[in-house]
Amino acid sequence: MIQLAKRVIRQTVNDKRSVMLILVAPLLILTLVYFLLGDSDYVATVAIDPDAVPAPVINALEQQELELVDITADEADQALDYLQQHEDVDAVLRFPETSGMDITLYEPSTKGATAMSEIQEAMADINPSAETTVSYVYGTQDQSLFDSLGYVFLALFSFFFVFIISAMALVRERSRGTLERLMMTPIRRGEVIAGYTLGYSVFAVIQAIIIVLYAIFVLQLSNEGNIGWVLLTMVLLAVTAVSFGATISIFAGSELQVVQLIPFTIIPQVFFSGLIPLDLIPYHLGNLSYIMPIYYGAAAIKGIMVYGDGFSDIWGYLAGLTTYALVLYIINTQALKKFRKL
Amino acid sequence: MDIQLSHVKKSFGDTAVIKDVSFTVAAGEICCLLGPSGSGKTTLIRLMIGALPADSGTIRYGDTEMPNMAILKRLGFMPQNDALYEDLSAQDNLAFFGGLYHLPKATRHARIAEVLDMVELAGHKHKLVKNYSGGMKKRLSLAISILHKPDILFLDEPTAGIDPVLRRKIWAQFQALKAQGTTIIVSTHVMDEVIECDKGALLYNGTLIEYDSVDRLLKKTASGRIEDLFFAASESEARP
Repeated sequence: MIQLAKRVIRQTVNDKRSVMLILVAPLLILTLVYFLLGDSDYVATVAIDPDAVPAPVINALEQQELELVDITADEADQALDYLQQHEDVDAVLRFPETSGMDITLYEPSTKGATAMSEIQEAMADINPSAETTVSYVYGTQDQSLFDSLGYVFLALFSFFFVFIISAMALVRERSRGTLERLMMTPIRRGEVIAGYTLGYSVFAVIQAIIIVLYAIFVLQLSNEGNIGWVLLTMVLLAVTAVSFGATISIFAGSELQVVQLIPFTIIPQVFFSGLIPLDLIPYHLGNLSYIMPIYYGAAAIKGIMVYGDGFSDIWGYLAGLTTYALVLYIINTQALKKFRKL
Repeated sequence: MDIQLSHVKKSFGDTAVIKDVSFTVAAGEICCLLGPSGSGKTTLIRLMIGALPADSGTIRYGDTEMPNMAILKRLGFMPQNDALYEDLSAQDNLAFFGGLYHLPKATRHARIAEVLDMVELAGHKHKLVKNYSGGMKKRLSLAISILHKPDILFLDEPTAGIDPVLRRKIWAQFQALKAQGTTIIVSTHVMDEVIECDKGALLYNGTLIEYDSVDRLLKKTASGRIEDLFFAASESEARP
């Protein structure tokens, strides 16, 4: 088993693309996610007819992080046409005589939401009694989407990249005939799977340390709990990913087929990882999360990083992951009977 | 240790690939499995090494029936494809398999050097296998299969795609192994190679059409060419 683990490590180190996929790709994508979901310095543009908007409102709007554009009364009345012709403007704000405040947006989007939020803040400034104070048990109102969902990506990356590398390595082992040669030696079937898992676990540990330290100390992902538990969860998730990869490799005849199986194996797990609150998923489909290993990892990491949970709170998730890895280990060991009964 | 096959049958789905094959290879012999592509040579080898279970019949090594872990340790196998770890060097490939065969650490290094010398790869032992030529890969594959000094060596088409000079060298190595007492089962579709062997098992569509000493096989045709035995089998099958 140790021989096999050493070989996996040496072989992976010699394959620069695998090293990049395990150690560099997660950091690259995490950085992209940080910029995509992180704080935006976008300044929304709002068009108003200055003759039809009360002066206190204009003053309040000018205090916000907004760019105000003056338009004519006709343009304000034809707000829909105006926005179609001026894509740089996010919203038209009017105060028609027949109703209160009227906001027209180009489309439902983050840019429109930013304009809305700034307008609402301006309204609250001129009418303090309408001001709303929001408090959270965990987190703050001004935290970015990256702060809210960053933990999901830690779980996804620790699973996905190790899964890809291990599944492809095992398929390659079979297609190139080395598995048959391996099974001609006195190695036991269980030792083959354990050796693979051990070998990739070394990379899983290094990957987990790099990702977690990068996310917390470079990208400033908020963390309320113990980094050690986050690392343990990520390593357990990666170990499960190796076994999951080995199981998938049973059903794949080539490396291409591993990629073809990703829509059935990985993408559903992304949806059940916590990106979408499970309670919002209709027809109790959220319960499907219990058969998906990423759910256990993401839930444990969320517990630690968002709620500051300790071992007593997350042990159930860790037990779920461990059970998953053990069941897959047994399945994989049995599957090797195809190559040798002993 | 002799090898006895008795009424071995194997099918994949509805297709019978090995049809009631029986023969015995004596210890220390080179036995050639001859036959055209698809005749069942590789399947028969995989049955003999225990990589495939037979549907019926028995395969015995001495008194022991396969599959058996103790026997497995005494077998060497060179597959048809090279089956090498291309991201490792020759030295690392050999060290890995040496570890799996539990070669003693004290002598493992010396044994690796010995087999590398034997296949003339000592000067390239630190090069990654992916940078090897086809012939070098074949020789490394052979080195791995003999690393643990197996009593019985199975070679599946070891000279396929190899130039005549290298083929002669490889056969010289097989003869050297035979001289050391190794029993060799070698599959090939190159009929000329039969003269290197003691026995010939001629497979055609999964049926053993002839099994005899090579001398007697050559005398069975007027031309003295083994191909004629296959032509005869082909004609007899085509006859209504």
